[in-house]
Amino acid sequence: MEAQRVLEYLSEIEEAAEDVLASRQQILDLDKKRNMNREALNALKHEMVSEEKVKVCFGNMFIKLPKAKTRDMIQRDQEQLDKEINSLRLSLKDKLNHLNKLQGKPELTGYNLSPLSSDEVKAINHLLKR
Amino acid sequence: MAAQMATTKVPEVRDITRIERIGAHSHIRGLGLDDALEPRQVSQGMVGQLASRRAAGLILEMIKDGHIAGRAVLIAGQPGTGKTAIAMGIAQALGPDTPFTAMAGSEIFSLEMSKTEALSQAFRKAIGVRIKEETEIIEGEVVEIQIDRPATGTGAKVGKLTLKTTEMETIYDLGTKMIESLSKERIQAGDVITIDKATGKISKLGRSFTRARDYDAMGAQTQFVQCPEGELQKRKEVVHTVSLHEIDVINSRTQGFLALFSGDTGEIKSEVREQINAKVSEWREEGKAEIIPGVLFIDEVHMLDMECFSFLNRALESDLSPVLIMATNRGITKIRGTNYQSPHGIPIDLLDRLLIITTSPYTEKETRQILKIRCEEEDVELSEEAHTVLTRIGQETSLRYAIQLISTAGLVCRKRRGTEVQVEDIKRVYSLFLDEARSSQYMKEYQDSFLFNETTQPTMDTS
Repeated sequence: MEAQRVLEYLSEIEEAAEDVLASRQQILDLDKKRNMNREALNALKHEMVSEEKVKVCFGNMFIKLPKAKTRDMIQRDQEQLDKEINSLRLSLKDKLNHLNKLQGKPELTGYNLSPLSSDEVKAINHLLKR
Repeated sequence: MAAQMATTKVPEVRDITRIERIGAHSHIRGLGLDDALEPRQVSQGMVGQLASRRAAGLILEMIKDGHIAGRAVLIAGQPGTGKTAIAMGIAQALGPDTPFTAMAGSEIFSLEMSKTEALSQAFRKAIGVRIKEETEIIEGEVVEIQIDRPATGTGAKVGKLTLKTTEMETIYDLGTKMIESLSKERIQAGDVITIDKATGKISKLGRSFTRARDYDAMGAQTQFVQCPEGELQKRKEVVHTVSLHEIDVINSRTQGFLALFSGDTGEIKSEVREQINAKVSEWREEGKAEIIPGVLFIDEVHMLDMECFSFLNRALESDLSPVLIMATNRGITKIRGTNYQSPHGIPIDLLDRLLIITTSPYTEKETRQILKIRCEEEDVELSEEAHTVLTRIGQETSLRYAIQLISTAGLVCRKRRGTEVQVEDIKRVYSLFLDEARSSQYMKEYQDSFLFNETTQPTMDTS
């Protein structure tokens, strides 16, 4: 019985840890995509100035699309990505706290505070003489 | 203003060898309790005083939980029984995150500041505010910087910056401003940098380990760091703890050139304090700040007078009040500034609010232990007999006197090029330096030959 309980406990921890790792990997993948999109936007702006239509790679197929439409598409994608990364980051905190609690580690201090606004940060930095 | 600061900044001179000085309580590392709060006989520099250490441990737990505020503790006991040691132990055990302010009762008497102002400053130093700062940064190792200069020599420069982490790599387009700050920071391929997204500030963390062999000759200040992991665009959160007093000081300074250089802050207007209290509680309601009630330790608390005691009474009622720990070695004596007698020289109404911990004189074995710890702290080797003699002295005169003899005997021993302090060394310093009892004995014998002797004078009254 005791062994069963330990096993259950360990698998719970393992699950929580897996959850944290999966979130982190997802953030990473999304950031990768975000940066690629950003590069594409820059390329559209600087290198493809003269072209009317551009070739866009979807999966393993190139499709010729009007430039303005492509840019809109990528920009919408960027906004979506930003939103997703933010929500993942927020949930990551809860997941990590959950993991810490399961492992009997103390919660990180100041973790649940909301950040100061930039003006307030400036004032505090002035105070700490940095 | 910032530019002015930068130009007037004097280069800092750093000492290469810094000698740690040994204070009277530098051997204290904590309260010496186990996980169940049971005191160990000898641990973390603490010896004996089991009951009071356990009591202090309970209070420590309460402080750590942060649930109690506005409580006060009195540590009472004879001189040399470890009152300050217990307070230091609490301070050490609290760790760096909880504010601990120590002051002596007589510190509040100053010409520049009223007594209550000094006390309220001390109170506010002992309260911490925890706040969080959040920034979006881009952190990565520079793979390549490419800058295109226009052929005419004038006009906007453009460029590309390639950054990577262990997982990914990307190219950023650079504007003129970024190119300028990159060249100002002397960023080159192989540096690990962070870029603050909001301000565009670039800071160099060091060179990547993989580029460690790029040059044969390197300055000592070149620091090697690992290539960053994870995503390039990160969110950095920093949690600061500042004391209420620090916030007070900045906000009360008059905006002027001289204000920056005057070290003394003088009195802080109560309006400023009220404003800050309001701001902090606003932050707390918005979830932007946490209050950490710390500890204010007032040693020799019998030196406070009636006004201060009534101020303390009032200050403890405030919801932004730290835990107050006081120590005194007085018995029933006059309250300073009055003719009333009271236990510990503290008014009864304040005493009523206190949790009182008492310390008792050390036994011979404990004295021996403490002397041993002090010898280790002061790097003096003591022979077995000398240790016994010193313990005896400690028992018969006072522990403090015996501790004083350690370093002096150590000096005598070194003078005769010995490695271990012997009984002779102890005897020599014992004859050179009088303890309190022998000194008063001497006075009594020879007082006629001293100046201003009046045999009818009563004994010292410090109340």
